[in-house]
Amino acid sequence: MTKDSIKEKRKVHFTPDNVDIIVEEGDNLLEAAIASGVHINASCGGAGVCGTCKVLIKQGQVESTRTEKVSNQEYDQGVRQACQSRIITDLVVDIPVESRLETAVLDRERVGGIQPLEALATGWRFNPPLSKLYVELPPPTLKDNISDLSRLLRGLKKRYNLRNISVDFDIVRKLPQMLRDSDWKVTATTLVTTTKPDKRWTKLINIEPGDTRGKHYSLAFDIGTTGVRGQLLDLNRGKVRAAGLDYNGQISYGEDVISRIAYCQKPGGLRKLQQAIVATINGIISKLLAESKVKVKDIAHIVVAGNTTMVQLFLGLEPKYIRLAPYTPTVNTVPLVRASSLGLKLAKHVYVYALPSVASYVGADIVAGIVGAGVYQREKLTLYMDIGTNGEIVIGNSSWMVTASCSAGPAFEGGGIKHGMIATNGAIEDFSINPSNFEPVINTIGGIKPKGICGSGLINIVAGLLEAGVISQNGKFNTNLPTKRARKGRDGYEYVLAWAPETQIGKDIVITEVDIDNLIRAKAALYAGCRTLTKSVNISCSDLEQVIIAGAFGSHIDIEKSIIIGLLPDIPRDRFIFIGNGSLLGARLTSFSRDLLDDARRVANMMTNFELSVNVDFMNNYTASLFLPHPNAEDFPSVYQRLSKLQKLKA
Amino acid sequence: MAFEIPKTKYTGKIREVTLGKGDKAITVGGETSYPFYLFEGEMPHLPHIAMEVWDCPPGEWPEAALEPFAGVTDDPVAWAKKCINDYGAEMIALQLISTDPNGLDRGADEATEVVKKVADAIDVPLIVWGTANQEKDIEVLRKVAEACQGKNLIIGPVEEGDYKKIGASAIGYQHTVAASTPIDINLAKQLNILLGNLGVTDELIIMDPTVSGIGYGIEYAYSVMERMRMAGLTQEDEKLQFPIICNIAKEVWKTKELHLADDELNMGNAKKRGILMEAMSAMALLLAGGDVVIMRHPEAIKLVREMIAELTA
Repeated sequence: MTKDSIKEKRKVHFTPDNVDIIVEEGDNLLEAAIASGVHINASCGGAGVCGTCKVLIKQGQVESTRTEKVSNQEYDQGVRQACQSRIITDLVVDIPVESRLETAVLDRERVGGIQPLEALATGWRFNPPLSKLYVELPPPTLKDNISDLSRLLRGLKKRYNLRNISVDFDIVRKLPQMLRDSDWKVTATTLVTTTKPDKRWTKLINIEPGDTRGKHYSLAFDIGTTGVRGQLLDLNRGKVRAAGLDYNGQISYGEDVISRIAYCQKPGGLRKLQQAIVATINGIISKLLAESKVKVKDIAHIVVAGNTTMVQLFLGLEPKYIRLAPYTPTVNTVPLVRASSLGLKLAKHVYVYALPSVASYVGADIVAGIVGAGVYQREKLTLYMDIGTNGEIVIGNSSWMVTASCSAGPAFEGGGIKHGMIATNGAIEDFSINPSNFEPVINTIGGIKPKGICGSGLINIVAGLLEAGVISQNGKFNTNLPTKRARKGRDGYEYVLAWAPETQIGKDIVITEVDIDNLIRAKAALYAGCRTLTKSVNISCSDLEQVIIAGAFGSHIDIEKSIIIGLLPDIPRDRFIFIGNGSLLGARLTSFSRDLLDDARRVANMMTNFELSVNVDFMNNYTASLFLPHPNAEDFPSVYQRLSKLQKLKA
Repeated sequence: MAFEIPKTKYTGKIREVTLGKGDKAITVGGETSYPFYLFEGEMPHLPHIAMEVWDCPPGEWPEAALEPFAGVTDDPVAWAKKCINDYGAEMIALQLISTDPNGLDRGADEATEVVKKVADAIDVPLIVWGTANQEKDIEVLRKVAEACQGKNLIIGPVEEGDYKKIGASAIGYQHTVAASTPIDINLAKQLNILLGNLGVTDELIIMDPTVSGIGYGIEYAYSVMERMRMAGLTQEDEKLQFPIICNIAKEVWKTKELHLADDELNMGNAKKRGILMEAMSAMALLLAGGDVVIMRHPEAIKLVREMIAELTA
């Protein structure tokens, strides 16, 4: 071996986290940060195009490919893109505030659940698919010397009328000693499979000494592309014992579904992503356990929902074909899989229930939402909209349902926006503007100095700028306004939301014409999806009796402003309902009720998916919708009325 | 029972827009049926043809197109007069080719002077067409609008990127705007709304859907125009109830086929070929809903006039 091939070890110290990691010379800085557990934004998955992973090299040397994302001034200060940097010497690296991911604030959102949202789905019995059954067995005698297992099954049959039980082999192994040690008093844990009620069978998955019925818990998780939310549920009382959330650990490998799928094509990529999400979930589980003081052995099962790609990545299934025409998922109804085999730190007997999905881009999250919101139970014609990076839409009622998904892009989560950020501390979420002098009033999450703009903030800002006449209906700036806030910047016209000294980042926070354009595209995709779907079932938006808005983002969204920009249809406001995280809601409820678990399967089968990517009408609706709110004044009567009133006031 | 031809039910009407000033002013639009469907509705104003005049001698016209204008192509005023006096032009379309920054790049003052001269010399409506270079058009067309105050020129192309500035001048100096969009019904509608917001009244808007000649994608233009008319007439889409102008001559005469000599590639007589290509392209656009077509060759124009007369007899 030559001397050259032995790589030198280097130490990298990250501030402000104060974390060290030993790496090899030449290693990528972004990967080193991820490996050390330091969260850095890297929206593009390390392709070097997003510029969100900028770091400050305080000491030492890196070898860095220079891109236009780093200005001359920044470069001289030592700012580099982490993903484009190779480690040369020992380093001290500072993660600036705008490149950091913060989780503390996500807690401010109601994690879609402590509230009694069950009000929406009705009529279900509290009857969890997991049961704990206590039996006292007669000890064997010479007259009654059937096998230990037969004795247990006979006891269960006698006491609980349980037939057709299948048994996990692991139980048999521990059975003889346990039965005798516990004086023939044991608690069995069973689960039911999710086929039709009359064809269900029971699976015996665990056996414990004594009566442990009082300790019966489960977990429900929504695996979002951006955030992961989990709850620890008490299966005796039907209550949420603890709730928690974290960013999806995969974010550092790409911000959207497509870049994650692309990452899987790299050697070892799928494994890395699978481990990342499992680590995220394990992290949340340990927080939930600590908070609720529940022991891990008392967790009997876990229900997960998420979009098709997220579920497949969690299960370690190759997601490539989701992205390629004709867009086939690997599985819609996932067979039972042991949690431990996926790397989850749960007892060996715990199985994962993954809720069923409909198609590659209509996932279990939507099925969960429909079940949770009870859309399939009512005759009311309902539009269900899950607003996020991948917008998903369902129209229907108890008799029929059609669904479509439309790629809105990450604008609603602050992606692709110059000063965009996820809805965490320091994000501008509320905005109003004085129409006479164009001065803004902004509110940030956490009430601190602004750091950027989140998706809901973006909607409010664009609606406000439109009403004040700062921008026209095509999203372009009016350039002759008597204010210094509307100006020509590096990326075209922009409006200054906060001057540098008022911010956390020491730079003017602006919204640019390009940002507005991105939001218009995002809202156009969703609205066009709605229009295409309503038209394909021959109804109009005013026929909708109820509009249910879901999504992590949907938990704080201003309906009026959303209608003004043309994201939501202009129909009476009392028809809108917000349920926050529909996916988690559905996951929780199915953990409480085996009936709903059946319903989830039924709902998934009931949905007819419309593939919008090949739909000409959708493209037409989409280009038509690239306007604020929309060129069809008759579809947005209240908005047009308001705009013309405002215009008259100004004149 | 007698057979009855099923009829389309129209709920809308195309707006009437008056072009030019004085005795020779022309009103277009007003249709209450699809083009030439006189058995279903009315076409109170026949489509009109504007004859093309360039503000500089055309360098690359085929011989057949130059021939009728021999001796006047270096003088826009004489050229315009010839069109009116010799060929009966009811409208003139002055193309400000020389202002193209990628060509002669003549300044706004010089261009304005030419427009002013032509406008003063004729009494038929005058269409003034820029180069679709937005920065230059803003500079040139605003000056033109000011210099020709009150003459009700038709100024185009007015596009999404320059509508505010050119539109404001048109309002200020009382001209009609040709709202130009790239072959897309939604974009056309959006621009009309934006012009309305700016304060351009409905009577001062004519739409340019962007057209092309036969063999060069005319079917796209045709279908967009057709859809505009369907929206305006049967779907009560007020923002699409505007007359349509088609700047077709330039498109037809620049094609490769019209620059081939006699019998080259077995394509027969060059002159006849050019005339027919122009006449057929223009006619197709009229059938799709055009209200004004900008044409070049007097014989092509004659053919189209005859056709219009026949269809409306």
